[in-house]
Amino acid sequence: MKHIITGLWLCLLTSTAVASPAIEEAKLDNGLRVLLTEAHHVPMVAMQLVLPAGSRFDPEEKGGTASLLAAMLGDHSAKHDHATWSAWLDSEAVKLGSGASKDTMALSLTVLREALPQGLNMLSEALLQPGWRTKRLTILQQDAIAAATKAQESAGTRAAEYTAHALYGSHPYGHRTGGSMASLHAINMTDLHQLYDAQCKPQGAVLAVSGDITMKELLPLLETKLHDWQGAPTTAAGTMIKATKRPVHTQHIVMPTTQMLVQFSRLGIARSDADFFPVLVLNHLLGGSGFGSILMEEVREKRGLVYGVYSYVMPLLARGPFVITLQTRADQADKAVQVVKEQLQNMAEGHIDANRLDKTKGNLTGGFAQRMDSNRERVGLIAMIGFYHLPLNYLQQWTKRIESVNLADVKRAAKHYLPPKQWNIVQLGPVGENK
Amino acid sequence: MRLFLCLLCCLPSIAQAASLQRASFDNGVQLVVEEDHASPVAMVQIWLKVGGRDEVPGKTGLAHVFEHMMFKGSKALKAGEHSKTISAMGGNDNAFTSTDFTAYFETVPAAKVKQVIGMEAERFAHLRLADEEFQKEIKVIMEERRMRTEDDPNSHMFEELSAAALRLHPYRNPVIGWMQDLQRLTIEDVRAFYQLHYIPGNVTVVVVGDVDFAAVKKQVARTFGSIKARPTPARFNPQEPAPLGAKRMDVHLPAKLPIMAMVIPVPVWQAGVNDKETAALSVATYALAGGRSALMQQQLVDQSRLAFSVDAGYDPFGMGLDLWYAYGALRDVKDVDAFQTAMWKLMTQLAQQPLTTEQLHTAQRNIVASEVFARDSLYLRAKRIGRMETVGIGADHFDDWLNAVRQVTAEDVQKVVKQYLQPRRATTGILYPESMQ
Repeated sequence: MKHIITGLWLCLLTSTAVASPAIEEAKLDNGLRVLLTEAHHVPMVAMQLVLPAGSRFDPEEKGGTASLLAAMLGDHSAKHDHATWSAWLDSEAVKLGSGASKDTMALSLTVLREALPQGLNMLSEALLQPGWRTKRLTILQQDAIAAATKAQESAGTRAAEYTAHALYGSHPYGHRTGGSMASLHAINMTDLHQLYDAQCKPQGAVLAVSGDITMKELLPLLETKLHDWQGAPTTAAGTMIKATKRPVHTQHIVMPTTQMLVQFSRLGIARSDADFFPVLVLNHLLGGSGFGSILMEEVREKRGLVYGVYSYVMPLLARGPFVITLQTRADQADKAVQVVKEQLQNMAEGHIDANRLDKTKGNLTGGFAQRMDSNRERVGLIAMIGFYHLPLNYLQQWTKRIESVNLADVKRAAKHYLPPKQWNIVQLGPVGENK
Repeated sequence: MRLFLCLLCCLPSIAQAASLQRASFDNGVQLVVEEDHASPVAMVQIWLKVGGRDEVPGKTGLAHVFEHMMFKGSKALKAGEHSKTISAMGGNDNAFTSTDFTAYFETVPAAKVKQVIGMEAERFAHLRLADEEFQKEIKVIMEERRMRTEDDPNSHMFEELSAAALRLHPYRNPVIGWMQDLQRLTIEDVRAFYQLHYIPGNVTVVVVGDVDFAAVKKQVARTFGSIKARPTPARFNPQEPAPLGAKRMDVHLPAKLPIMAMVIPVPVWQAGVNDKETAALSVATYALAGGRSALMQQQLVDQSRLAFSVDAGYDPFGMGLDLWYAYGALRDVKDVDAFQTAMWKLMTQLAQQPLTTEQLHTAQRNIVASEVFARDSLYLRAKRIGRMETVGIGADHFDDWLNAVRQVTAEDVQKVVKQYLQPRRATTGILYPESMQ
């Protein structure tokens, strides 16, 4: 058992020097990395076990496999059927969650401090003794298909489906994590077993913990519960196929709504991208910071065209999506699209104000403390640091790296990423006289 | 079991780990502070005793419109400058309006709290309310309504259901306002609303985080506390007549799958008056829909397969009444009647058979645990304080609520289910999907 403690570090938040909680690291004998921040102000513990088993591993035409496996692991075990499992968790007020994202699958646990030993019993049982009950798979699958059908009522869901396919085609990121009605229907128990056997292994996985516990108390509990879990995943956690550029498309999907949902998309950045920090700042300036962003000012504040307009970049193992979304009354959609294109063009040509850039950076660095505000937020952040093998002082570096992004860096990123002709555009809403 | 008993005994100290510090000012402004030095951040929330319930007929949506106008410039700050200033200091800000209250909040580095309180007081006292800004903002709000309600069949159905269920109580109107009212509001309506409701006697300042009470008190005294006092009108709180029989409403909207929902007017908590009754309603609602082993999930989803998703909800901290709800997302319209029958069969079972000791304790333990988990977030902690103060219960009474939950018996649960959760008191709504083509 290796146990390393990285010292407490100091972070500069705008002009205020404050201490951030230390991340302690340990490694179990089976290779599982454990990252902990102690927080003793509330008698609770939150944790997230992150595995390299996200929707990128969904078999072709079987999108939703990782999500369905996560649902099955959280639903019952070999020792407890669904009813007794549910009653057991509720009786201890244990919140056990499970889900998948593009790169990872996660089991999460939130417990009162007193219930931690029982909570770890439940987490390890879910992970190491799956029940694989056919009847429960049928129920979970039927309900997932119904939820996917219901979700088709939302323009946002349909836009996400379109954008995933437009950006990635047959690449492992080319479908929604939760799957579609057809892809969910195609999944069988063997698919779940295969993903579980191949990827749910301790080496390459990370257990992020935050709360009212010390590493000294935690490690013996984990060693006892997870001792039998052994091995390495078939595909190592950091291995990924590159995402390559695809032709740009414009599409209109007809929906009987009063608004048009407009989504712009293009490939963004990977975790390892050299442009990571300039693009992060660029996105924050463009549409990632709510009322501080250029798109919110131009589309909402100046013109009253929308309630919300925002952009995001999602850095992943391969290049993740860079997306802009707005919703406006259908007959105003063309005008709103025009305004967004003008702003993209303007920024791509280098018209970026240095003073505004400084404020954007101030918002990003100053907002750091809020991201560490609660145990549940902290475990998400720590799990990300662990899974993507970022240094444990990443958060300190992060602040410095943001501060060091200069106007020339952001102009260079804008020139590369923002020219409007590089963006897919999908509009979802009425056509013709209904518009 | 030992852990369980221990938890219930320790319950108040767990839920309210730090004590609240208070101050009142001569003009009626209230201050509540909870110091927490775990992290160098603070949450500032300004709570107003005004919400959708205080609007007059034909002017629905005004409280929410006003919330938007608070960001559109004051004597010292141009439109949008408040948020930009907060953003540049590394904070974020927003606001929310409900039927009972309006609140403005900022999460900021703790060193900025003094400046933020000053900014909040300045816009509160010196709002500009220019017609040009109003004309742009009302368009934004109509877009918000289209997004949240018109284009979301579930929300649209629930809006209709509330309106059908209540005759008099203002919870029948949507907080965002009816579109027909939004189209007719003017800047004069907004100015009149400001004069009437944005007065010091309606203000509670809540600060939770890495602050010093004495310093915060001094700053609130200098800012909010120095605004001239004005008479504070009583809240509009009409008595809803008792239901006379079951009501049913069909809604036809473009959608993929049907939903069925039922709402029932039930009492809200009046501290020291109906503790047992309302705590029992909370426990009953948890037993129905609160966890993995909840009765609705077990019987209507896992066993009978009539729905693929279910929920029920009760909010004891409203004013006058709460619209208790239960709903099921169904796979097929042909299941509507069977689902309704099964739902009422379940409620009858809850009225006739006492919860087992295990079911009762599970409900109690989870209600308490959710309060402990909520203490993990500054936002939720401040919101709990602000809300309890604004609706007239008082944040100091929160431990009384948890004690009341602890004392609920299985017979108490049966009694409230028999009394309130009855078909003849319910309004049932069904969303019938129309083609989305």
